[in-house]
Amino acid sequence: MTSPLIKRCLAVSIISLMGLGPVVLFVGVAQASYKATPYQTSRKNAGTPNSTMVKKNSDGVIIAYGNSSITYRAPSAALVTLGDALFQQNCASCHGTQANGVPANGTAGAFPDLVGLGPATINFWVDSGRMPAANPRSIEAIRRVPRLTHHQALAVSAWVNSLSPSYPDIPYPHLKNANVADGAALFALNCASCHTIEGDGDALAMSTFSPSLRKIPSIEVAEAIRTGPANMPRFTGNLSDAQVNDIVKYVTTEIQHPNNPGGFGLGGLGPVAEGFVGLAFGVGILALAGFWVGERDD
Amino acid sequence: MSDVINTQRAKKQALGPYGRVGKSLDELDDRLGLARGGRTFMDKIFPDHWSFMLGEIALYSFVIIMVTGVFLTFYFIPSSALVTYHGSYLPLDGQKVTQAFSSTVNISFAVRGGLLMRQMHHWSCDIFVGAIVVHMARVFFTGAFRKPRELNWTIGLTLLILAIGNGFFGYSLPDDLVSGTGIRIAYSIMESIPFVGTYMAFFIFGGNFPGTSTIPRFFILHVLILPLVILGLLGAHLFLLVRQKHTQFPGRGRTEKNVVGSPMFPVFMAKTTGFLFIVSGITALLGAFAQVNPIWQFGPYDAARISYAVQPDWYMGFLDGALRIFPSWSFMAFGHTIPLEVTIPAVIFPGIIFNIAYLWPMLERKFTKDNEIHHLLDRPSDRPKRTAAGVTVLVMLSMLHIASSTDVIANFFHLSLNAVLWGMRILTVILPIVAYPLTYKLCKELQGVRGAGKRKTPNIVSRTAEGAYVATPTPAYGEDVGHELEATPVPAYIESEPEEPLESGVRTVDR
Repeated sequence: MTSPLIKRCLAVSIISLMGLGPVVLFVGVAQASYKATPYQTSRKNAGTPNSTMVKKNSDGVIIAYGNSSITYRAPSAALVTLGDALFQQNCASCHGTQANGVPANGTAGAFPDLVGLGPATINFWVDSGRMPAANPRSIEAIRRVPRLTHHQALAVSAWVNSLSPSYPDIPYPHLKNANVADGAALFALNCASCHTIEGDGDALAMSTFSPSLRKIPSIEVAEAIRTGPANMPRFTGNLSDAQVNDIVKYVTTEIQHPNNPGGFGLGGLGPVAEGFVGLAFGVGILALAGFWVGERDD
Repeated sequence: MSDVINTQRAKKQALGPYGRVGKSLDELDDRLGLARGGRTFMDKIFPDHWSFMLGEIALYSFVIIMVTGVFLTFYFIPSSALVTYHGSYLPLDGQKVTQAFSSTVNISFAVRGGLLMRQMHHWSCDIFVGAIVVHMARVFFTGAFRKPRELNWTIGLTLLILAIGNGFFGYSLPDDLVSGTGIRIAYSIMESIPFVGTYMAFFIFGGNFPGTSTIPRFFILHVLILPLVILGLLGAHLFLLVRQKHTQFPGRGRTEKNVVGSPMFPVFMAKTTGFLFIVSGITALLGAFAQVNPIWQFGPYDAARISYAVQPDWYMGFLDGALRIFPSWSFMAFGHTIPLEVTIPAVIFPGIIFNIAYLWPMLERKFTKDNEIHHLLDRPSDRPKRTAAGVTVLVMLSMLHIASSTDVIANFFHLSLNAVLWGMRILTVILPIVAYPLTYKLCKELQGVRGAGKRKTPNIVSRTAEGAYVATPTPAYGEDVGHELEATPVPAYIESEPEEPLESGVRTVDR
């Protein structure tokens, strides 16, 4: 006679094995599909967009250009020395002492060449805390608290730009002149297909993802649109400065501080969270209420 | 006359034991003869088990949907005509939107109580379909659908499909970016039906996508035609329930020949009215504190715009999940695209699932050769094959439902989307296969456990004179003994004899 306890234990272990199996399989597949191919901004020199005002210094070098929507300003040349020092401390171990990238043990294109990318690109990556990278081999650099201050980030971009001056310069949007309704329409047309219409970001193919836009400062939003970091497309010809300004205004006002009545937003997960709450809270609590009202005899 | 009635007490006595109300009801009965039917209805016995309340969640959610829905129709404009929005929501100011969208935003921002009504309407719909599914699971796993209740199973299943369909129509009405994507998918699913697909899509949507007739057509389907059908079928569902009487779990005093429980009046009436208030209270809480479908954030639908991370409401999730994880099998043949990637997961698969559900009572009769009338319910573990089959289908549908949020899972757990997709493909196939034997085995094990599902009774431990301890199980709790309500016999309505006509075409019927 086998004891029922042993039988039950056997059943439980079989259940847990059967439950665990698919999980192990799932994790295995997830691991197998994970291939480390480093991120980079491959495009060079986005060029100068249409400008109504161009400011040059005494040597005839363009230091600022733009219009009533966005002013693009090159970082001050006085910061170059500081930038050089900071670059050698924080960036050179991967990108090389001349910012031209180094081939890292056989991985083609790893640690990209930064020369000629323009100050906006360098400033975006450093200011958003993505560089220096948390894990240089991860598929996507993760936004975190920046290691360098804004001033230091400007210095680094000033030095990299001094190696081969190029564009775009760092965009400073004038949000007072922007139209938030046009921004909403442009956002739905150009940005929502990856960042989602509520700007929460989501997973894209092969471990890449579109980040949440909930806490991005306006300069970085404009920089991202104009330079196209990592997987993001670079929007130059198809969006005018006025339109970029509209989008930046929509993102920094309505996405980040939405006029959003109706109670708790449920994490912006949309119908997934709604279904969960509707079933778990709605039907669940009501079933419990029925349990309370009804009898529970055998 | 000496006995003039003028005291208060005498007046009261003259009215009879039930007072003014009783007297007016009496007068009504003299003319309409309602008392007899009313008596039967008042004496209708409801079993007290809590699982019989699940269907009532659905019933009362439907009431809330009707009430809030009528409110919404006062303000909603079912038109695809373009207007320039100039309302209180600034990011839309000056945008060209349809009247349907603009009026829904106005309901949310400008109508007093409008957003609460909208959110209650949406939440109670989510609860409605959810309660139907849970109720259906209870009916399935306890075998309540067996003879003579197959017809009510069919009606209930039809109600589920109609509820899902009407939920989809309602979700589509605001014409926002997310629901417009849903209509686009529904249009494509319809087009993928072989031979008749394109014609059907044109017939139902009134032309090519997006078109201007979708919203008005969906509106009339959503507020008139489908609610009427649902209401009629709901009436039939409840009529059959009263006519055939409730099923009940086996237990003390309960047999195939009786129903044990509380009568409609006063016990069940009080219980169920209270439950109506609980259901509407929970729905109102959700409507007030949990945001649902914030269409102003989504903006108007435009075929050129698209948002990522778009899922349908939960009851359509299994279809969306099936579409997401099915391999992209599509090819050109005979000068046409053969979109198997859409036809199989979105047309053939749900067709098979729902047809099996419709045919299940018949299939079970065929396989068990059980043609008896059943009023006593099964414990799920006593019917391991049926339970295992039900769990298998539920697991498969749940996996497909989870698969409709692959992107959310990948983002939340920082996994590769492709890995999640493949994981869901594998799990959707493997877990149902695992679920059947597992449930079957578990049921068999549960059958062997003594006293499973029964209330545990205390043991009396006593010490004998020799110092040994003896545990004697008591038969039952004191309160359980004699806890029997009066049993009502099941009427023999099935063997009613036809009356003999006197002469051709003439019949005499007693008053």
